Amino acid sequence: MATHDHHLNGDTITNSTTNLAKKPKLSPSSTFITASEIQSEFSHHDPSIARINNGSFGCCPASIVKAQQLLQLQFLRQPDHFYFNHLRPGILESRTFIKQLINAHHVDEVSIVDNATTAAAIVLQRTAWAFAEGRFDKGDVAIMLHYAYGAVKKSIEAYVTRAGGCVIEVQLPFPVNSNDEIVHEFRKALEKGKEHGRRRVRLAVIDHITSMPSVVIPVKELVGICREEGVDQVFVDAAHGIGCTDVDMQDIGADFYTSNLHKWFFCPPSVAFLYCRKSPSCLDLHHPVVSHEYGNGLAVESAWIGTRDYSAQLVVPKVLEFANRFEGGIDGIKKRNHDNVVEMGQMLAKAWGTNLGCPPEMCATMIMVGLPASLGISSELDTMKLRTHLRDNFGVEVPIYYRVPKDEEVGVITGYARISYQVYNKVEEYTKFRDAVNQLVCDGFTCALLSK
Amino acid sequence: MEKEEDPRNGDDHVTATKKPKLTNFITESELRSEFSHHEAGVARINNGSFGCCPGSVLAAQRSWQLRFLQQPDHFYVSTLRPNLLRSRALIQTLINAHHIDEVSLVDNATTAAAIVLQQIGRRFAHHRNDTVIMFRCAFPAVKKSIQAYVTRAGASVVEVDLPFPVSSNAEIIAEFRKGLSSAKSDGRKVRLAIIDHITSMPSVVIPVRELVHICREEGVEQVFVDAAHAIGSVSIDVQQIGADFYVSNLYKWFFAPPSVAFLYCRKSNPSSSETHHPVVSHEYGNGLPVESSWIGTRDYTPQLVVPAIMEFVNQFEGGSEGIMRRNHEEVVRMGKMLAEAWGTSLGSPPEMCASMVMVGLPSKLHVLSDDDATRLRSHLRDKHGVEVPIYYRAPKNGEKGESEPRDDHGLITGYARISHQVYNRIEDYYKFRDAINRIILEETSLQGCF
Repeated sequence: MATHDHHLNGDTITNSTTNLAKKPKLSPSSTFITASEIQSEFSHHDPSIARINNGSFGCCPASIVKAQQLLQLQFLRQPDHFYFNHLRPGILESRTFIKQLINAHHVDEVSIVDNATTAAAIVLQRTAWAFAEGRFDKGDVAIMLHYAYGAVKKSIEAYVTRAGGCVIEVQLPFPVNSNDEIVHEFRKALEKGKEHGRRRVRLAVIDHITSMPSVVIPVKELVGICREEGVDQVFVDAAHGIGCTDVDMQDIGADFYTSNLHKWFFCPPSVAFLYCRKSPSCLDLHHPVVSHEYGNGLAVESAWIGTRDYSAQLVVPKVLEFANRFEGGIDGIKKRNHDNVVEMGQMLAKAWGTNLGCPPEMCATMIMVGLPASLGISSELDTMKLRTHLRDNFGVEVPIYYRVPKDEEVGVITGYARISYQVYNKVEEYTKFRDAVNQLVCDGFTCALLSK
Repeated sequence: MEKEEDPRNGDDHVTATKKPKLTNFITESELRSEFSHHEAGVARINNGSFGCCPGSVLAAQRSWQLRFLQQPDHFYVSTLRPNLLRSRALIQTLINAHHIDEVSLVDNATTAAAIVLQQIGRRFAHHRNDTVIMFRCAFPAVKKSIQAYVTRAGASVVEVDLPFPVSSNAEIIAEFRKGLSSAKSDGRKVRLAIIDHITSMPSVVIPVRELVHICREEGVEQVFVDAAHAIGSVSIDVQQIGADFYVSNLYKWFFAPPSVAFLYCRKSNPSSSETHHPVVSHEYGNGLPVESSWIGTRDYTPQLVVPAIMEFVNQFEGGSEGIMRRNHEEVVRMGKMLAEAWGTSLGSPPEMCASMVMVGLPSKLHVLSDDDATRLRSHLRDKHGVEVPIYYRAPKNGEKGESEPRDDHGLITGYARISHQVYNRIEDYYKFRDAINRIILEETSLQGCF
């Protein structure tokens, strides 16, 4: 099968990812999953909802749910036997699978945790200790994007600000037109970070794909800039990474990289990996929940944090079987999701007379679509109310973003919908959304009309 | 859009104290059915390690899981929090906490330890060289948590020996007082006492109420009771016990699926507002219960099934209290049966155990190290279909020591921790008895076989 180039990491790379993401043999298309089989795999989805928000909570096909239930049952049958004989080899197998998927060099570099939020706690606790134990000076800097995920911002507050660090936010333009705009703002923020002379930029936290508003960030380029400018360490928060964009640890070059597997990689809730480039500072990383494995390396610590259900972590290798039922495997899925979400976004923008939040090459499997200004979205609260209104009264599930008007901007679009496209989606769901908004506009609806 | 509500998901009429009608008790065959997923042919006498979960609670859990998968956004916005609150309210009643704000749900006692000790550790930054006191036999994860958060922050740790075998609470209290004196020596302040309610290995019920009282008398700043085994095996009244923090796992003895625990944080403790979940979400700063209710996308369903658990336990005569009482009586009876069959003894008197008891193993087994204990356990699992944890007790006073536990052939150095839960049958314990007897009689090279 032909490889194809992606522009999603900020520059062109050839998609020769891994031998593990091997493409299914060139067979008659009848051996690929059919539309009705896909329907069946996701038959547990509420059929009355236009589910165009895969980005928030992901999805899990029935065959993976079933595989997970078998693992759960195996534990319940004889838990001691499971704990002593099956658990650790199973986790190692999952880690090995992920290592190949993301092109990490050593399986030691791959730990499995619940979600990106947990990974952030792990990386940032290390930073907090460094301040507490005097390795970092008070006032040393951590840099993050203004659009960093809420939980990550709070984690930085809890572990960096509280410990005496100084936090600088990179202001990002939105709508955005090119990677250059992002790079420019990033450089500005780095300058500010170093500007008072004696302080160092200890950590840069960079989203691979921001959550709200959603844009693909040129991480490889930003990591390169961090190295040039003497930033100690770079942590890439790629909650939306794997299954959504290309994830190659050698290519991106970050020190820490996390991605959820339950968003775009068909795993059940919840499982994520945290990659830590091999270096002396890895010894300092610990899972915050301490078990008897403390001190045996993050991967081993994370594989046992007390009795709990590890089945979501154990089922990961099964996802490849599912993905390989699709033409092109996971890469084919990514590409089609991208093409489809762009097509749907453009269809909506055209129907509403609005615009997209970024050019197609700066999005992966999600895209921001401007909502008609007449809807009168004038606060974050409005977006929540509108979202609820769409869910409850129109059967459409889609998150809305409030884009604050800048000084002197008039009549601008202040609301953007973040639409997602995943294998279970159909055109009808987007036309349902289109029609819902058209009806709202037609009825003279504004957010001010929604009660609290 | 919504599927019909599963009544086991908690109707308003199910309360913690409702006693079942006389004619509605669970039958023997219903009980078999509830645990039919347990592996047949295994004498599963180790409920203490990983607990158990009946079929009806599992079904309730799957129902919640499906609801999430059907429409996760709706679940997050409308379903999750009210139902977490419902579970917390039931627990509040069960443990006699005064405020629901004092009850948080977390994964397990290990997570609770991280929460409590992180908070303690932060305080040590200003008070280096003060002390923490704990039992030497505290659960390994708790010991490591102390290392990670407290020792690292500069505190010293004083360990209290647990006399074992033990004959009375007085022995434990005396040792604890000794430890406390040592911890306070040289003008040091004891910032934290960690007290097990029921120790893990060796397993003994600790007189927590008395020990907490002593801590208060002696000016210990905070007391954390690690009661991993407590709920569902002993009655819990957090007012009576009087600790600042109290954690217990629900999946061990209270029929929850893996995994869920509650962490009680006394409101009057000034540190309770400084206590945070280490995994920080947008709920940071909204109080531990709220922080714990959202630590990122994950499967929260074990925390949602508490109403279904209440339905289950109320099918038994006497409800949860009845189950606890019968488990205790049976495990003592089985322990005595084994000790008599082997010519050994129990590790503690009946009143110092709940639903687990330590039974001395014949000295002829020559369990002479932790490794021997582990290998015997594997051997029993693999070759005899018995699942039971084994404890190695090093002789304290040498071979000639007067107070060393003995049988007719030598010192007793190995103990089995047997559990009794509602699914156990006498045959499970006979199987264990016979396995040990067979090992002694038939297996020629005792050192070689396990």
